[in-house]
Amino acid sequence: MTSKRRFAVVTDSTADLPDEWRDRYGIEVVPLKVIFGSETFRDRVDMTDDEFFRRLAASTKLPTTSAPSPGEFAEVYSRLAKDYDGCISIHLGAQLSATVEAARVGAQSVEGFRVNVIDSETVTMPIAFLCKVAAECETLEGATAAVQERIPKCRVLALLDTLRYLEMGGRLSRAQAMIGTMLDLKPLLLVADREIKPVDRVRTRSRAIQRMGEYFRRELPVEHVAVMHAQAPDEAETIAAQLRSELPGQELVVGNIGCVLGSHTGPKALGVVYIKK
Amino acid sequence: MNRLNVFPVPDGDTGTNMLLTLQSAVEDIKESNAAEVSKIAKLASHGSLMGARGNSGVILSQIFRGFARAVEGKSELTPRELAAAFEEAANAAYRAVNKPTEGTILTVAREAGRAASTAASDADAGVPGVIAAAAAGAKAAVIKTPSQLQILRDAGVVDAGGYGLQIILEGMLKTVEQAESFNIETTAGVPRPAQVVLDLPEGGWGYCTEFLIDGTKLDVDRIRGEIEAMGNSVLVVGEPELVKVHVHTDDPTGVITLAGRFGKLLKLNVGDMSTQHKRILDSEAAAGRPPRSNGVGLVAVVAGSGLVDIFRGLGVDAIVEGGQTMNPSTQDMLTAVDGVPYNEVVLLPNNGNVILAASQVPSLTQKKVHVIETHSVPQGVAAVVAFRPDRHVAENVAAMKAEAARVQTIEVTHAVRDTRSNGLKVKKGDVIGLINDKLEFAGTDYAEVVNKALGKLGPDAYELVTVYRGQGASDDELANLESAIRANFPGLEVEVQQGGQQHYPFILSVE
Repeated sequence: MTSKRRFAVVTDSTADLPDEWRDRYGIEVVPLKVIFGSETFRDRVDMTDDEFFRRLAASTKLPTTSAPSPGEFAEVYSRLAKDYDGCISIHLGAQLSATVEAARVGAQSVEGFRVNVIDSETVTMPIAFLCKVAAECETLEGATAAVQERIPKCRVLALLDTLRYLEMGGRLSRAQAMIGTMLDLKPLLLVADREIKPVDRVRTRSRAIQRMGEYFRRELPVEHVAVMHAQAPDEAETIAAQLRSELPGQELVVGNIGCVLGSHTGPKALGVVYIKK
Repeated sequence: MNRLNVFPVPDGDTGTNMLLTLQSAVEDIKESNAAEVSKIAKLASHGSLMGARGNSGVILSQIFRGFARAVEGKSELTPRELAAAFEEAANAAYRAVNKPTEGTILTVAREAGRAASTAASDADAGVPGVIAAAAAGAKAAVIKTPSQLQILRDAGVVDAGGYGLQIILEGMLKTVEQAESFNIETTAGVPRPAQVVLDLPEGGWGYCTEFLIDGTKLDVDRIRGEIEAMGNSVLVVGEPELVKVHVHTDDPTGVITLAGRFGKLLKLNVGDMSTQHKRILDSEAAAGRPPRSNGVGLVAVVAGSGLVDIFRGLGVDAIVEGGQTMNPSTQDMLTAVDGVPYNEVVLLPNNGNVILAASQVPSLTQKKVHVIETHSVPQGVAAVVAFRPDRHVAENVAAMKAEAARVQTIEVTHAVRDTRSNGLKVKKGDVIGLINDKLEFAGTDYAEVVNKALGKLGPDAYELVTVYRGQGASDDELANLESAIRANFPGLEVEVQQGGQQHYPFILSVE
């Protein structure tokens, strides 16, 4: 498949791309950096997702992430220029990170190699879906159009087990306005249209999982779907098995919630991510 | 009347509720110059409805309403018209209740009306004779109430609301007879009342309570001494014949009961200071929030500082302070509903004794009001959690009702009297556990009663227990309860919240 394709597909580590897709579609992944206090790690290179959540649970301050440098992108693009005619580079939403900007600057320094840098406007596995869509196209133009068309249809539905990490982050004031702070509620959040908004709140985890399923079913039909989790693989598998039986013929993988979304959700978060048809 | 409480739980007192309801009717009449019976009856109907507290207060307001309808357009009444009005009053009361129960104020109102009609059919009957017959009919019906209701029989009392109506009719008769004094015989035919004692609160003095005591040879200093023990900001002044009392207390019922021993109480007024204060805070807070896209406001009836904070944190726009032991009036809830900056409002009574008064609110305001019949704090919390500002009101109301219905409520308190209820023998002071308002267990400590209650609910069907800690629970008692639940029900998650409610050391939400 990759041998026929004349353009490369690049993303960053926040796409939470499953390793299997990385190999199957030949997708290049540039790591962001995760900073806990004075320690810096390359996301998913120096630090696994499991390790990230172990550290997150133990820390009183949220970790920060920093975008790859333009130079790091330039290095990757220069290397790819030897084997490909061009490249599509799809990244974490510009409202959340400077990664897209770094990619654009890096692309300008590679002469004679066309790089279409795409702001996905979203987080986590919908970016991986966009990479898959691109990788299955024949031409760079076709891939760019196919990806652009799907960006407004990307959704991340996330169920938090606790409000602690949202509070620590001090972000999502709109969400907090609805969530309240006295009771330990389980909020259901939706990332869509460059916004994170609360769509529901319940008191127990089993009800929250049920509500997440109900919300997702109202969003059908979908083109791509994955179930995601932060340190809750068994529940994720249960949800995935249920959805697979409802959606025969649909590839449905279970993926890890990585550091960017994970630092807001905390451990035990679950998600359903998809691209609407 | 307050001592005729059939349940061993501390709750809203029928006597206080009916007195305050009647007081509101009397004040409306006094403020007008009306001389025609139709106008006076209409004022009584409106005034009692606005002041209606508790179920008995609401039913009393409906009795006045039926009476007012029957006498519409009349400036005076013949004995027959009066009797017909008594009958229509009873009919209106029956219509106001979803499932009329015999052996209550309803039966007493009906029997009073029948007796009045029988008396009025006599060509020689006069108005005093018709009223006398109504009062006698009421009294006979009151005495029979224990034979109609098992709970009255178990508790060895007559129905308090029915007895209240009897007193009102007897008062009417004495007035018509131009009696010099207003002394009502309260002992004849009434079984020995049970003793109700409510503990004084540990903090906060929520109700501004004012009245006059009308009596003879009143000892102002002694009255002051006794009132001072029950609250602060005490002012007791006057003459041996008339004493004015002002006090800030969390137990207005106790103050009224105490003062009633000295003489007749006049101009009784109980105002909820914390509500007034909080309402101002709430509207300020609401002003800072972006308006909700669905245009729906939330009003809840809650007591206890922690619970008030929880409801506000969940987005409630106005709190009416009240609940189990101090039932807010229809007017209190109406004021809060009218005060929120939305034209559509969801009202949560959060107590079984408040629901009927709350359900009067929709017909009294231009706003569209939806009353969700939450019987307890856990039901109220569940309903508010389900509210979503971006969802249409009909969907919200449906979701809030459904969520409230899913939650199980366990309330833990001390029995205020000896009784037999629901097949249980309870001694005053025992720890008692109620599941969804029904007395299920009695014991000696909180953890034991809660264990039994959770066992009865079947913990396998539930996931989360939220413990709302009341004023009466110590740190040790809380720790014991928590560890007992964790040890006995390892599958349940336990969350502790400071509720700050009175009289109920623990309220548990099981879901």
